[in-house]
Amino acid sequence: MATKIISLEDVKKSYFIKSEEFSILKGINFDIEKGEFVSLMGPSGSGKSTLLNIIGALDKPTSGKYFIQEKLVSTLVSDQLADIRNRYIGFIFQNFNLIPTLSALDNVALPSFYAGKLVYERAKELLNMVGLSGRFNNRPNELSGGQRQRVAIARALINDPEFILADEPTGNLDSKTGREIIDLISSLKNKHGKTILMVTHDQNLSKITDRVIYLKDGRITNKKSL
Amino acid sequence: MTVKFLFQLFILSWQSLRANLFRSFLTTLGIIIGTTTIIIVVALGEGAKRDIEAQYSNMSVTTILVNAPATDGSPSKLSIDDIPLVKEIPTVAEAVPMLTGKVNIAAGDNTTNFSVVGTYADFAEVANLEFVSGAFFTQEDEDNHNKQAILGATVAEELYGSKTPDVIGETVILGKREFEIIGIAKYRGGAFGPVTIDESVFTPYSSAYRYVLGKNGKFSFNVNASSVETLPATMDALAVVLREAHNIGPSDTEDFRLRDMGATVASAQSSSATMAFLLGSVGFIVLLVGGIGIMNIMYVTVSERTKEIGVRKAIGAKDVYILTQFLFEAFILTAVGFVLGTIIAVGFYYLLLSFDLKIVFVWWSLPLSFVITFAVGMFFGYAPAKQAASLNPIDALRYE
Repeated sequence: MATKIISLEDVKKSYFIKSEEFSILKGINFDIEKGEFVSLMGPSGSGKSTLLNIIGALDKPTSGKYFIQEKLVSTLVSDQLADIRNRYIGFIFQNFNLIPTLSALDNVALPSFYAGKLVYERAKELLNMVGLSGRFNNRPNELSGGQRQRVAIARALINDPEFILADEPTGNLDSKTGREIIDLISSLKNKHGKTILMVTHDQNLSKITDRVIYLKDGRITNKKSL
Repeated sequence: MTVKFLFQLFILSWQSLRANLFRSFLTTLGIIIGTTTIIIVVALGEGAKRDIEAQYSNMSVTTILVNAPATDGSPSKLSIDDIPLVKEIPTVAEAVPMLTGKVNIAAGDNTTNFSVVGTYADFAEVANLEFVSGAFFTQEDEDNHNKQAILGATVAEELYGSKTPDVIGETVILGKREFEIIGIAKYRGGAFGPVTIDESVFTPYSSAYRYVLGKNGKFSFNVNASSVETLPATMDALAVVLREAHNIGPSDTEDFRLRDMGATVASAQSSSATMAFLLGSVGFIVLLVGGIGIMNIMYVTVSERTKEIGVRKAIGAKDVYILTQFLFEAFILTAVGFVLGTIIAVGFYYLLLSFDLKIVFVWWSLPLSFVITFAVGMFFGYAPAKQAASLNPIDALRYE
């Protein structure tokens, strides 16, 4: 039996505005197994961002359980969540989210610093792997969009996370560069056996993934047409 | 958090500040000025205090200075004739007259202008004079109106180019008369009542009156009470005796003035302390404003870097790491401000010294300004750092 990396059991999330309840997620159930490349799709307002925040351990569900590798995450407190994000999750954002004052190398190494074991050698290896050998000391504003996303991918890998969470990783890139980035992300699964959850709007992108999870009105649906 | 981790966090803070070097400098400017102000103010205060101490160092707290006030009306009747009457007051230990006036003083080819002080033989004892050569005159010299002079150290230096010239027995011309030098006083600094000792020539009272100053001399005298306890009573008795001697009616104004030196010293000291306190307060306020400057800019920084903070948190920074990083930034700003402020203060100190300002560097002004500066810097740095640390990563990431 394959190992479950991510597991959500009846995850619900509501917001209260002036004691009125707005239900965003209405009971989400799914698992992602080790080595899977899964895409998450859904229209605006479907609760996609909220779900992503919960899976990314940035937010907690109102009810339900969320496990990463059978570790219950949904009840953890702020600092424990920081630790989960640091060790178990590698984030790739749409707008790269690099620290502007740090070099590419420092940006890649930063999560390892927060993990308490700063590893520059591994950061260099990862930058080589994503094809940025000569760019160690460049700041983000000295790099192109595609190069920035490569730095972000290297950063996502530095602490050898259980899974990669990619939030529209090509959203801010032209189609050619976007394809290169998708190839790179795919190779993480194919060559390195990484588990990946990718949020995307792009039907074509979702086709290269093993499986697509559709979200609509706070629920998982089987309808592939959105 | 290990020391190594803290050190790396410190480096991170340093890098953030360096990325905005000019702004960081402006931020710390208030701290720089505040530190400089405190150090310089303390040095100025100490200088003033020492100056006052030196001025009054020769005066005993039991001394009462009696002189004629600057009147617009009739001349004061204060004179040498009051001395025997004053000496009859039981609580008066000593009474020494001083007739002073500036005259030309010449020896050989050199002429200068200093005070001649005609006084009694006990002046040497009362004023604690010491001599590099020779001795003070005696009661006999006084009685015989001998033309004898004791030179103060500065006078000797001006006339002979040395504070210790070998000129006992030689002649000095005071005004128009020749006097024999019988003593050279040791340098001591400070004043004794109206007399600046180093800048005076001392002669018997009668000789100064007869041959040099005459009615142009300013007359005053020092009275020493037998103890601090009898000082108030002595003051009262002096007033009574002098009013009677000068025929002053109960409703008329006195033609003399009594000054209790103890009270004068105390009030001078307290006014210099007040001054130092006032200036110190200014320094403190400058630092406070500097601290608020740090807080302001740090709030701006936190809001500018909201996104960055969100990213840091998303990739695993705990609240305390963010807090520590921002506190380090406040610390670095404060520390750099303190060091620069101290350097500038030292520069100022030597600048003021070169202008002959009375300023004395005091070592404890450094720890003092250190403690105040850091208290202010960290106090005002904490709130924005705390705000940064408690940002919600989701909101922070979404922030544009």
